Amino acid sequence: MDYILDGFKQAINLIISFNKEIFDIVFLSLFVSTTATVLASMISIPLGISFGIKKFRGKRLFSRITYTMMSIPSVVVGLLVAITLSRRGPFGRLELLYTTKAMIIAQTFLVMPLSFGLSFGLSKSRGKEIQKVAITLGANKYQSIMLIIRELKVDILVNVATSFSRAISEVGAVMIVGGNIKYHTRVITTTISMMNSMGDYPMAIALGIILLLISFIVHSAIYSYSKED
Amino acid sequence: MEIQIKNLAKTYGEKKVLDIESLNLEREKITGIIGPNGSGKSTLLNIIAGLDDKYDGQVLYNGELIDSDIRKKMTLVFQKAYLFKRTVYKNIAYPLEVRGVKEEKIKQKVLELLKILEIEDLKMKIGSKLSGGETQKVALARGLVFNPELLLLDEPTSNIDPEYIEHMEKAILKYNKENKGTVIIVTHNINQAKRLCDNIIKLERGRVIN
Amino acid sequence: MKKVLSMMMAFLLVFSMIGCTPKTDTSGDKPEDKPGTETPSKEKPEAKGSIILSTTTSTEDSGLLTFLLPKFTEDTGIEVKTVAVGTGQALQMGKDGEADVLLVHAKESELEFVEEGSGTEREDVMYNDFILVGPKDDPLKLKENSPSDIKSGLKKISDEKAKFVSRGDDSGTHKKELKIWEATNIKPSGDWYIEAGAGMGDVLKMANEKQAYTITDRATYLSMKDDLDLEIVIEKDEDLLNQYGVIPVNPEVLGENSDKINNEGAKEFMNWIISEKGQNLIKEYGVEEYGEPLFIPNAK
Repeated sequence: MDYILDGFKQAINLIISFNKEIFDIVFLSLFVSTTATVLASMISIPLGISFGIKKFRGKRLFSRITYTMMSIPSVVVGLLVAITLSRRGPFGRLELLYTTKAMIIAQTFLVMPLSFGLSFGLSKSRGKEIQKVAITLGANKYQSIMLIIRELKVDILVNVATSFSRAISEVGAVMIVGGNIKYHTRVITTTISMMNSMGDYPMAIALGIILLLISFIVHSAIYSYSKED
Repeated sequence: MEIQIKNLAKTYGEKKVLDIESLNLEREKITGIIGPNGSGKSTLLNIIAGLDDKYDGQVLYNGELIDSDIRKKMTLVFQKAYLFKRTVYKNIAYPLEVRGVKEEKIKQKVLELLKILEIEDLKMKIGSKLSGGETQKVALARGLVFNPELLLLDEPTSNIDPEYIEHMEKAILKYNKENKGTVIIVTHNINQAKRLCDNIIKLERGRVIN
Repeated sequence: MKKVLSMMMAFLLVFSMIGCTPKTDTSGDKPEDKPGTETPSKEKPEAKGSIILSTTTSTEDSGLLTFLLPKFTEDTGIEVKTVAVGTGQALQMGKDGEADVLLVHAKESELEFVEEGSGTEREDVMYNDFILVGPKDDPLKLKENSPSDIKSGLKKISDEKAKFVSRGDDSGTHKKELKIWEATNIKPSGDWYIEAGAGMGDVLKMANEKQAYTITDRATYLSMKDDLDLEIVIEKDEDLLNQYGVIPVNPEVLGENSDKINNEGAKEFMNWIISEKGQNLIKEYGVEEYGEPLFIPNAK
């Protein structure tokens, strides 16, 4: 038991002393996951909203596939991205594997189905009514979608937060395409995983606490914003 | 005119909810559609509004099939209207905004409608937080703000205070007289139909009864 | 009280999270990884007919044990349960009396282990060797200039700032690498020195992608060779050898429960593996598949 308490004490020390290595790792994590979330959201949310209100053949099957894709394992995404970016792969010439860019690409693809599925479900259940009003008031297709996004912005923001949480807490994809290289592609989760293997608990615990804090802050911010609405 | 309905039939599964051989609705008149629940009133209104295109037969607007251009000339106010999560002013301004009307003109029109419906005090309130009666008034103002050729109303005054109903009926009549607007109103209130309408159509089980 | 409670809560939260992080696959040699997995319970005394062998992942992953142990059981009638963990963890299991015999590769720690009384004796068993691999065109011409001098090779790499991938995961291989750097009096750092923090297989793939140099155990390299554009550039240097030892655990570590450790079986295992037969089997292993043995027996 002692080593756990010790681990916590040392972890707190690492955090309050602003240990540079830890904070570099945290910033890289935030940078990669935020960029990926923003990219994925910009593509997936308008698409999800418009597919949600669209009537088309096989929409049910489409929903089911979409919801399955939402929980695509991160290692699968990591593997696919790694295969395409590897030196022998189709995009090998770009020399992207084991770089921050590769991590952003992988997380973007990881989060896109999630972001799409959540927007799609939201739009399917609540977008129709808004679309009807928009049509009766003379809005065109683009204007309807923009209106739905604005009307559902709180729920969409919750979706974005969910996507971000998924991105920042996943380890499989970033580990595979980033390689956990010190000072370059080492993020919170890959470090925790590695430190755990090495039995170096204080740093793992410190990063675990920070990861929880980030999650807490993001969700409190969203919560207080949705209260205001 | 002006809205010609020919051999209109609509079914849900086995059930035929609308079956109208021929019906003409006149321009610049207020037409009331009455009938019991489930007689097909709202379905008919939705078809005319272009929100429902899964039917057999023809619905012509000035001799033309309803497309997105024609849809822009009309509006529909629902029984339980949906107001946007923004101010009443912004709610009423929306139809003008999507038509690219200039800011100044928008302001003038919105203020005019606020006055007609006697809701100036609601101007800066958030639409989604209003009471039922206030919501219906704002929704009507939002429908009238762009001077539609055709105003479709789906039981717009059910379950609201008599005072509010009076304001709304006044606004509907004013629009019909001064702007030469055509109105089709679905109502279950026969007195309201008598107060407002030039013609009254009675529906029963999807058919027109004379 | 409140403090203790909130502490406990935080502890639970953090650990449930760590528990959730999936382990990444690190194939090949990773001696120090995965502490505490599959610790067998010693609650019921085992029959004389079986022993628990705590060893490193490298011996397990290379397939050596799968090859040797059935033959041992055939000869002696003793069943062997293998627990493959990191060297450090294996030694700890010995100290806690959770294993009967150890087969590990950290000579200094092993000698210490025996000295403090946790093990009864120690014998050399075999060694495997590490190699320096690099891009096929070998831009630094290490293979030409110093085919079996790892120190001058590493010095050249550091001087030229050629890309070098380090395990960086505190594993046996990583420690070995750091030891050699230390011997060259170079503290590797800079953009060229890539600290992966990953298993051997991942590091080899990374070196392949980046066309960098790296130090690897021969077995892992040979098993992945076909998928890599990397070649051996430096090998067969004294400094690149990795000595394995066998140690029966001292039953005294369990005090009055000393009968729960199968010391007889452990000794039998030690004697068998350093016998001529055991040694010859080690020498045979891998020749068929890779054209050379993966481990070189060297019991005295």
